[in-house]
Amino acid sequence: MAELLDEKVHSEHLDMPVPNNNEGGEDSPMKISYGKSMMWYFLLSDAFTFSAFLIAYGAIRLSSPWWPDPNMVFNGMPFMHGAKVPLGFVTVMTSILILSSVFVVRAVQEGHRMNKKGVMFWMFLGILGGVAFLGCQAWEWNHLLHDGMRPFINIYYASEAGETLKYSVAENGPLDKTLGPPLFGALFFGITGFHGFHVFTGVMLNVIGFIQTANGTYERRGHYEMIEKLGLYWHFVDLVWVFVFLAFYLL
Amino acid sequence: MASGHLDDAAYQSQVWAVWKATILLSIVTAVEVAIALGHFYFFPESPRFLVNVMMVLATLLKAFFIVGEFMHLKYEQRAFIISLGVPLIFLVWAIIAFSIEGNYWLSMRPE
Repeated sequence: MAELLDEKVHSEHLDMPVPNNNEGGEDSPMKISYGKSMMWYFLLSDAFTFSAFLIAYGAIRLSSPWWPDPNMVFNGMPFMHGAKVPLGFVTVMTSILILSSVFVVRAVQEGHRMNKKGVMFWMFLGILGGVAFLGCQAWEWNHLLHDGMRPFINIYYASEAGETLKYSVAENGPLDKTLGPPLFGALFFGITGFHGFHVFTGVMLNVIGFIQTANGTYERRGHYEMIEKLGLYWHFVDLVWVFVFLAFYLL
Repeated sequence: MASGHLDDAAYQSQVWAVWKATILLSIVTAVEVAIALGHFYFFPESPRFLVNVMMVLATLLKAFFIVGEFMHLKYEQRAFIISLGVPLIFLVWAIIAFSIEGNYWLSMRPE
């Protein structure tokens, strides 16, 4: 590992080593390349953005006298029409994203061995996982919207005993005002949408990484550091999902 | 194709470390879902607060696996890890402050 970190910093544009311009020092003190460290600090700032959304969600939820039970809301399952499987589908989505993340870790490891075919194979599986996750999210959004959920209109409301009841648009017609906490839909669509946008961006970036690998760009450059940077972003998307999963489905 | 950045033994152990982290992540997620469903179906009377604490702890555990192993932060320089970790103190403040504020809003509601 030490060998890898001690490599001279490369210029991404020139495809060649650049002289060390650190004033008065031989090595970078953090022993990490400029590109990787800047990706980390970008992810730190992105973590603050997501945290701001999730903390706002938490404050609004704590200030509400009642909140729908996620087990009653997120219980749809594709190909099992009408069956109630609490948390089933979202657990599948979580597994897909974690597996996709693992595939990209494998791509990074093959990159360290300069194994072009290995990088392409695992990146391809990683991209497939990302696309599958987006497909699942599209299904879930469509399911909620079809049931009548809107950003400021909540079809889930409390019974006298505080149980979660569902308004049926199919039987009683569309709603013109909310029955439950109005921000439930806005927070759900807003935060999972922002996360989905990150997944979409990650898939696009990974596709570019895959094409450049196939073209031999990284092989000529002499290292697969770009795959590592793409990997950092991709794992961050997985990391955020772990917290979204906690906030919306588990608590 | 292999060009000797890594010897085979180091490579094998890294690959194994990743699959191990994957298995642990899957187990933790399965336990989380099992606790949630157990509370929903079998023990609705069990204290929700306790369930939530377990969920948060399990999530933090998963976050450490992802950041440490997948994002390889465990193997970076300590100074770099500190430079990323220290700013998160602001989040600890924000979570505490907004939780207190959210509860206050609830207590101020007319009903």
